[in-house]
Amino acid sequence: MKKALALALVSAMTLSLVGCGAKTTTTETATTDTAVEATTTENTDSTEAADASTGEPVTLQVFSNLPDRKTGQGLVEQTLFDDYMKENPNVTIEVETLDDEAYKTKFKAYAAGSQMPDLVSVWGQPGFIDEVMDAGLLTELNQDDYKDYGFIQGSLDGFSKDGKLYGLARNTDVMCFYYNQKMFDDNGWTVPTTYDELLALADKINAAGLIPVAMDGGDKWPLDIYVTDLMEKLDGSGVFAKTHDAIANADFSDPSFTKAVDILKDSAKRGLFQKGFETTDYGTAQNLFINAQSAMFYMGSWDMSMAANEDIPAEVRDNIRVFTMPSVEGGKATAANITAWNGGGYSVTESAAHKEEAIKLLNYMFRPEGWTKLAWENGVCMSAQDFSQFATGKETEPQKQFMEIVANATDLSRTPLGDMGSSEFKTVCEDKIQEAAIDKISTQEFYDAIAETCK
Amino acid sequence: MRKAYSNKAVIASLVAPGLIFFFFAILVPICLSVYYGFTDFSGLGAASFIGLDNYKFMLHDKDFWISLRNSGLLAIGFVCIQHPLAIIAAVIIDNMQGKAEGFFRCVYFLPNVISVAIIAYLWKFIYDPNFGLLNNIVKIFGGEGHINWLGSGTAIWSVLIVLIWHGFGWGMLIYYTGIKNIDPVLYEAAAIDGADKKKRFLLITLPLMKPVIQVNVTLAVISALKQMETVYLLTNGGPGNETQFMANHLYKQAFSAFKYGYGNSISVVFVIICILATQVLNMIFREKEA
Amino acid sequence: MKVENKKLTVGSLLGWFVLIAFAVIQIFPLVWLVDFSLASNNEMFTNGLLIIPKVFRFDNYVTAFTDGHFLQYFRNSLLINVLAVVIVLFISIITAFACTRMHWKLSGLVKTIILLGMMIPIHATLLPNYMIYDKLHLTDTIWALLIPYVAFSLPQGLFLTSSFMESIPKELEEAALIDGCGIYRIIAIIITPLMKSSMSTVAIMTFLNNWNEFMMASTYLSSPKWKTLPFSVLEFTGMYASNYSVQFAVMALTAAPMVVIYILLNKHITKGVAMGAVKG
Repeated sequence: MKKALALALVSAMTLSLVGCGAKTTTTETATTDTAVEATTTENTDSTEAADASTGEPVTLQVFSNLPDRKTGQGLVEQTLFDDYMKENPNVTIEVETLDDEAYKTKFKAYAAGSQMPDLVSVWGQPGFIDEVMDAGLLTELNQDDYKDYGFIQGSLDGFSKDGKLYGLARNTDVMCFYYNQKMFDDNGWTVPTTYDELLALADKINAAGLIPVAMDGGDKWPLDIYVTDLMEKLDGSGVFAKTHDAIANADFSDPSFTKAVDILKDSAKRGLFQKGFETTDYGTAQNLFINAQSAMFYMGSWDMSMAANEDIPAEVRDNIRVFTMPSVEGGKATAANITAWNGGGYSVTESAAHKEEAIKLLNYMFRPEGWTKLAWENGVCMSAQDFSQFATGKETEPQKQFMEIVANATDLSRTPLGDMGSSEFKTVCEDKIQEAAIDKISTQEFYDAIAETCK
Repeated sequence: MRKAYSNKAVIASLVAPGLIFFFFAILVPICLSVYYGFTDFSGLGAASFIGLDNYKFMLHDKDFWISLRNSGLLAIGFVCIQHPLAIIAAVIIDNMQGKAEGFFRCVYFLPNVISVAIIAYLWKFIYDPNFGLLNNIVKIFGGEGHINWLGSGTAIWSVLIVLIWHGFGWGMLIYYTGIKNIDPVLYEAAAIDGADKKKRFLLITLPLMKPVIQVNVTLAVISALKQMETVYLLTNGGPGNETQFMANHLYKQAFSAFKYGYGNSISVVFVIICILATQVLNMIFREKEA
Repeated sequence: MKVENKKLTVGSLLGWFVLIAFAVIQIFPLVWLVDFSLASNNEMFTNGLLIIPKVFRFDNYVTAFTDGHFLQYFRNSLLINVLAVVIVLFISIITAFACTRMHWKLSGLVKTIILLGMMIPIHATLLPNYMIYDKLHLTDTIWALLIPYVAFSLPQGLFLTSSFMESIPKELEEAALIDGCGIYRIIAIIITPLMKSSMSTVAIMTFLNNWNEFMMASTYLSSPKWKTLPFSVLEFTGMYASNYSVQFAVMALTAAPMVVIYILLNKHITKGVAMGAVKG
């Protein structure tokens, strides 16, 4: 008897839970319309936010992927939060931070629950945001609010769906090789202009007992970006559309796909990267570079803050310079074709407890004199907005170089390969590119595997 | 007296707390897993029922089989490497007297009290191909010293070594206790009969330790199947999925690949495998006893 | 026998050698950790096994202590683990008593059901549990950790206590029963004191298992309020990604409390495990 009772109890509990889950989803979709109205009427700017300082105490929950609050982007973010709290004494901002991978996991857990934090970090790339937008987890923002914010054209595309805007882009990310100018000069090495020169240089660096390029292959996504980078150099333009179509049709037979991965494999085999690059994580790869163990470091523009980081030995810090992927023989691209995209950003969640206040905070952060100015002045990164007005003339060398690279760019690759598809696509793409890079599987096997997930 | 022992209300009050914890924290989630295992739930939005599709997919999921194989390897590593070494260490320590005995016991057990988070990061540094401790040791012995221990091919063995290393002290302590419990009179009698150390070990220590060994082997196999934390921090299953373990695989599928339904079907199979493994082990041991 | 031990035979030399080899393998990584935690970051890149840092960077530890939320997380860990141990012990004993001593049809079944928990992988329950706790508003509270910690330590606790309890002779409690003692009092006054040794085993196992846990903690908790000690390390590696020696310092610091506790209680811990096995 007891057994039966117990079973009944369990199934009842299970059912009620499942029921609850379903119910919340329906109410969420039902409230969307009213929420949209609320945001449009609550269209406030920062002066009004200041007026609200007499309001009721509000605690905003922020979930961020920037764990380091003392330097770089995390510092800029925290500074903006602190300023906002100063201007709005009734508002307290509580920040929870996790590293990217852990962040995405926790985000998923939050998404399955009933209430998400008010303001969250998101990535405006299909691999992350599509499922999130489809599930109705993000609040629509009023596009008119941002007319004068100077967002670079196209930078908000990834955060939009069906003409509706669900988030703001934080940065313009450019992929590049950081290099140690002093080490180059001391050894008589020069910046390569073609990929063959890069490989020849790698041989010389290896012969000198140093690591040519420190590569974060353990996190896998830099390898995917490397492929996109090479494709951009091969094709010159249209990489985004080509990749998009390939995923839609589950067909990666286009020769530039194959060639890009082949080049990556050959480069790895020839010793362009450090030994064991496939297991080296971000911190370790960066450490190899800043401790002068490697001559170059393949990473994005968000790491330009290395040039201002007091923890890095001055000998390296003052000699950091950048160049973008050199042109590939037979490729159509020039130096003006760069691999760049607008990835990270913020959204306000649909289930936020203080939606209006969160939108106010978001708008406060992204006024041009907010994130853009602070990030540029601190040499942290390039925002997704027009930052040229904040040029001070005191920029670090990498900053100046990036400014020039972006100013001269004629074509941007946009979203890298791994972030173009579903999250399943991303997972497989990352696992397999790692295996391909160490020659465990062939280029064909790589594309077969990722095509499988597109069906 | 019998009456007091069969008072239903008392019994219910005694077992209720334990059962409540079990239902609330284990059974209900598992039931939810079974339910979601039949859906294509992504973790977000709505789920639709897709029958056995997840389970069919699993049959062709290479990574699932790799993780099962790795769990098996780890179980073998525990049973065939860690435990024999632990028994040997326990026997030798038992023969020591005084301070040495306490000292070694303490040293062996020490890694056990350190959090896996620390252990995993520490070994990441030890294995580092460019400045790690292990490669520096290789260099001392004249090697080139740029071996990528966590790289393709060697990764799984490197992971196994960390896990065997970490749990060594615990196994040693249990066996040591088991040996200490053997009546010294037996040894003395054997010594009088002229049995040497080796014989005494084989004829007295091992047979009398059998129950201890059985329990420990079973626990070791289960913990091998359940392995997650160390792998998650050390390699997260990489390179590729070479060092994938079941718990980590389901975690990755559910949380990174947004295939929550599929992740749950793995956990259902995972639970079944764990229960089966225990049953099989019990059967093997029982047969041997008979 | 004693005489034999005093002789330095080849066998005992070999024994010493093996023991010392094992000891070095077990302890050297930890020595290495402490060594480099006192160095500066670029001294990592050496070919030596151990180094004498040019300057002893004790400030690494200051950074680790202040930025790692060390005290708060340590307090949380201690509180949660002690509570979990107490609850596990209490429930193990009463359940074991009901299942081994009392007469009812389902005793075997109930015990088996709870013991099944030993085979259930804890990670299989991660997301369903999150959804449940979320519904009950238990996320980011101490309960979100206590409940699973207790639930998953209980099977092992019950297993050890009940096998131990079976070996306790029934005469004592039967005498008490005849004197008119109730079941609850029998458990509290007669059984529990006899269980001391197995209780310490259960306590140690529960404590060690849960002390290490962080997957659930990182999923169920969001504010630093209840975060446990492993987070000092996990959060730190993100914050100081480019500074290894500070990372080493935080690892050494986080490991320290348990190492100290273990060394202080070494005898008791060993004895606890030992006595549990003697009686069981």
